[in-house]
Amino acid sequence: MAGLATTFGSGAMTNAINEIEDAEVILVIGSNTTEAHPQVARRMLNAVDKGAKLIVIDPRRTRLAECATLHLALAPGTDIPLLNAMMRVILDESLADQLFIDMRTENFAALRAMLYRLDLAELEAVTGVLLEDIRRAAQLYARARRSVVCYCLGITQHICGTANVQSIANLAMLTGHVEKQFTGVDPLRGQNNVQGACDMGALPNVFPGYQAVDNRDYREKFERVWQTRLPAAPGLSLLDMTHSGACGPMRAMFIMGENPLRSDPSLDRVEETLTSLAFLAVSDIFLTETAAHAHVVFPAASFAEKTGTFTNTERRVQLVRQAIPPIGDCRTDADIIIALSGRLGYAMAYESTAEIMEEIALLAPIYAGIRHDRLRHSWGLQWPCWNTAHPGTPFLHKYYFTRGKGHFVPNDHLPPAELPCQDFPFLLNSGRIYHHYHTGSMTRQSALLNRECGEALLMIHPADAARLKVRGGDRLCMASRRGAVEIKAEITDQVAAGSVYTNFHFGETPINRLTIAAQDPVAQCPEFKVCAVRLEKL
Amino acid sequence: MSLMRSEDYLPRPAVIQKIIAENSQIKTFVLALADQQANQAFTYRPGQFMMVSLPHRGEAPISFSSTPTRPGTIELSVRRAGSLTAAMHALQAGDQVGLRGPYGRPFVMEDLQGRDLLVVAGGIGLAPLRSVINGCLDTPGHGKLTILYGSRVPSDIAFRGDIDIWQHHPAVTCHLTVDAPEPGWDGPVGLVTGLLGQVKVDPASSTALVCGPPVMIAAVLTALGKMGFADEEILTTMERHMKCGIGVCRHCHLDSKLVCVDGPVFSRAQLKKLQMDRL
Amino acid sequence: MRDDAMDQAFILAKDHLKSFLRKVKKGHRLVAPVTNQHNDTLFCTINHLDRVPINLTEQAQNGIKSFLFPQQETLATYAVSADGYRFNRTDVRPEPTVYFGVRPCDLMAVLYMDVVFMGGVKDQHYLEKRQDSVLIGLNCNAPFANCFCSATKSGPFLETGFDLMFTDLGDRFLVEIGRPKGREMLQAWQQFFTPAEAEDTRAQYQLSLEAMAGFRLDVYADQAIQRLAAGLVPESVWEQLSLRCQDCAGCAYICPTCTCFTIVDRPAGPDCGERLRSWDACTFAGFTRLAGGHNPVAHKIHAIQTRFLHKLKYDVDKHGRPSCVGCGRCVGICFGGTDIVRFIKMAGED
Repeated sequence: MAGLATTFGSGAMTNAINEIEDAEVILVIGSNTTEAHPQVARRMLNAVDKGAKLIVIDPRRTRLAECATLHLALAPGTDIPLLNAMMRVILDESLADQLFIDMRTENFAALRAMLYRLDLAELEAVTGVLLEDIRRAAQLYARARRSVVCYCLGITQHICGTANVQSIANLAMLTGHVEKQFTGVDPLRGQNNVQGACDMGALPNVFPGYQAVDNRDYREKFERVWQTRLPAAPGLSLLDMTHSGACGPMRAMFIMGENPLRSDPSLDRVEETLTSLAFLAVSDIFLTETAAHAHVVFPAASFAEKTGTFTNTERRVQLVRQAIPPIGDCRTDADIIIALSGRLGYAMAYESTAEIMEEIALLAPIYAGIRHDRLRHSWGLQWPCWNTAHPGTPFLHKYYFTRGKGHFVPNDHLPPAELPCQDFPFLLNSGRIYHHYHTGSMTRQSALLNRECGEALLMIHPADAARLKVRGGDRLCMASRRGAVEIKAEITDQVAAGSVYTNFHFGETPINRLTIAAQDPVAQCPEFKVCAVRLEKL
Repeated sequence: MSLMRSEDYLPRPAVIQKIIAENSQIKTFVLALADQQANQAFTYRPGQFMMVSLPHRGEAPISFSSTPTRPGTIELSVRRAGSLTAAMHALQAGDQVGLRGPYGRPFVMEDLQGRDLLVVAGGIGLAPLRSVINGCLDTPGHGKLTILYGSRVPSDIAFRGDIDIWQHHPAVTCHLTVDAPEPGWDGPVGLVTGLLGQVKVDPASSTALVCGPPVMIAAVLTALGKMGFADEEILTTMERHMKCGIGVCRHCHLDSKLVCVDGPVFSRAQLKKLQMDRL
Repeated sequence: MRDDAMDQAFILAKDHLKSFLRKVKKGHRLVAPVTNQHNDTLFCTINHLDRVPINLTEQAQNGIKSFLFPQQETLATYAVSADGYRFNRTDVRPEPTVYFGVRPCDLMAVLYMDVVFMGGVKDQHYLEKRQDSVLIGLNCNAPFANCFCSATKSGPFLETGFDLMFTDLGDRFLVEIGRPKGREMLQAWQQFFTPAEAEDTRAQYQLSLEAMAGFRLDVYADQAIQRLAAGLVPESVWEQLSLRCQDCAGCAYICPTCTCFTIVDRPAGPDCGERLRSWDACTFAGFTRLAGGHNPVAHKIHAIQTRFLHKLKYDVDKHGRPSCVGCGRCVGICFGGTDIVRFIKMAGED
């Protein structure tokens, strides 16, 4: 989020998902798209059918990498040097879009100066990617008329996550691959409504519509409508809260639809925080690990039991319509908040979620034209949608960037916080698999999905497996400096030697006991993608 | 089709009479239907299987390891592999399971009458063939029996009581082999295919029966072919993930066939006709 | 109306359709396509004829598979007690049902399901729902966007297989009798029907010709079937499909002839529970995996192969016709572009 906000001025997919189909070159970096975003992957594969070139940058040979024209298997956490090397090649071979740079961007001189200081041979060594492949990727990406970059958590879940994103933005601006249809920079958001949650100000520093809390004008606007005083200082980030510990400032928490006791890094620390709270309330559709620790649990209604909107990764606000009444004692999220707020002494009188949408439109300019009745007979509207006559915005930054001029932010390589060493010789990378969703609170309820995949497997390279005398299906103890789990081995050359990979969906194998709480200083996103572990056969 | 049989998927309760631990992984369950009349009327044929139910664990197909020539109880030998079989291993005599069946195309004992039999088995694969072996021994007019049985290690050798009887039976030759020896083992070491060259069988008057892990079956089928066995006289039985047992759910598909109704017993000749003869 | 006069076709004025269905509803549950408030057209049970408009112009998204073979159904309940481990049928006798407005493809699909569930051993749960059902078809005057039933010879007009078949002639329906149940139904409510004239049958013939010309997809199913039979479909086709398939099983769930299922126990307490049957798909890896971990269908490519070979080869060998009925629903639902139309096209290429 922060990375694109500092460079383009707006942190969201610049394209509509459909546009990917008509790109000439698709650069996918840090995204296991077929498993995590199958609907987006479908467009990529359709584009490949139409002749597009697909470049996949990923430490693992993912399924998408199998379909790629070029797969750059970089060393984990070396995205910046790889992107810098591509940009240097682009400069060296005069493939930059000088007109675009001159007219639409600023601070190019700083980027150029930084790139010219780099030694390509050194970058080749750091990234572990052949310079020849880097060169080809740079040429393919720069020469095409319509190039799209898609990235995901493989970019953001690093201590240099913001810098990673800025480097992607640099690459796109350097070649002018931003402003047009079928061309852009697309962060793929994980959950169906994570974009919507951010849009609605579920971030420490902004009100709905990305209006900064420390801006007096914005604050006063919200105070006027909400008839209450609002804090002027940004709040705490997720890890500031869940990692504050027994003696930290957190005394009470209300957690909605999130399972930090599985999804946050260094789980022992999270557990310490949550168990020492004076009061914990959790609202979720199933009794998650986190909810099991709560003093009060609100049974929440699922998507099928409520009416409201979800905003997806392409900024598309879609109406979800209630199909069945809430089961048992369940209540919708809005209902829970309204009731709770009333008890706390602030009455919220909304007749319907449509009325809440009207208030969003009133207060958040990017949502100004969005109303339930406009969404009812459509596939939704993409923000910014400035008024009720506005058709929405499929792709961003046409003619000008949200922040005016695109801003180059040069970045140097920042190695991961914890790399393998003698005691912890393997690099652990974690992610998601197709059959389960996040902490599995929903998908683990399905007998069929559990049959397809019922336990976490640790991908390990055949050479490492041979050295450790491990066979497929053997149980291993995997330990980091923070904790240990027991896990079954899967021997595959999809991972590089020295690296292991698994997912965090299974409560029986809580991988985030191992992961590190180091985080990006700007976006405050934890470095889930790299930590050092050791393996022992059980 | 002519029988117009119908299936309501209702298992019948059966009581465990006795449990025999064959090795650390395999137990034989001696069972009788709880309803005595039904138990007396119950018939089956070697090579067929039952769908076995356990509370909350669903169903799994298990072949008969007993022979219908010894009526009154049935025996199902179960290797601990998944959650159902693990739960079954935790049961005691007197406990109940649910049974549906019998299902599947059997070994046709009438066709084996008068022929010499070469039985090649690996691990739990001996279970369905034990049904044939003991059935033959119980029936007058059977030919010569040669049994080759491979296990991973000596302590894995299952059905020791039967093997002891077979090894002392005048009409039976029984050889054992293990993949890896343990202290005290002085028998052959190596794959069961290695034993094939050491036995005297006349392919023209013999029928071969093969069951074991998929890789072993594939190797033995090929070896038997080279020894001169006609494809029709090489029979094997297959293990599949099954849900219905009646040829509807399709979990046990094998090319155009369904193992639960077209098998589980197949001849090599039948398998060769399939495009994808995956074991 | 005399019995021997019943082999000819009849006319039902559209004005009388609702009156006819109202009578039909007296002895039967009525299932017909309805467009709901979200603009989805689905077959559903009609409780109030006057409140829900039956939609005979769109293709229903669901077909009638789920009525005869529900997505999830209870086969039995079980309990463990001092009595032992007992299974009981949940005895809900299915209501006699009239399915109205069933398109030729969906009708052929039911006939196929009859073979699967009643051709060999009779599946009681299917049989009970099927035996008291009446199928009233509706010929397709205009194929929908993804339709290719002419290629699979299961439409757009059918001459057999139905109990009654309707053809929309504008202000009236031509009604043909297929099976005895249809004859009984027509006889029971003969006041609404008049004998068809020669011009009505001519009009129907003309419409059937126009329908044949109305397909928008070019699908050469016969060619793919022949090439599969001859083993001419190259490995690369399967490889490409398996890379593209996203493993969602949407094709199997939406397919009117996909009948693979699984059976699982759902505990309701420590000592009791239900045994459920639910839809499954042969493309799932867990479909064939054994408890010990061995999977005879080890690779995705073989799972994909199974799906298409079953529909276009095994069933052709066994029943003389493919078990794809050309409804085109998988074309609309497939994420990865590995639907059967895509396969047929790829299989036909040299």
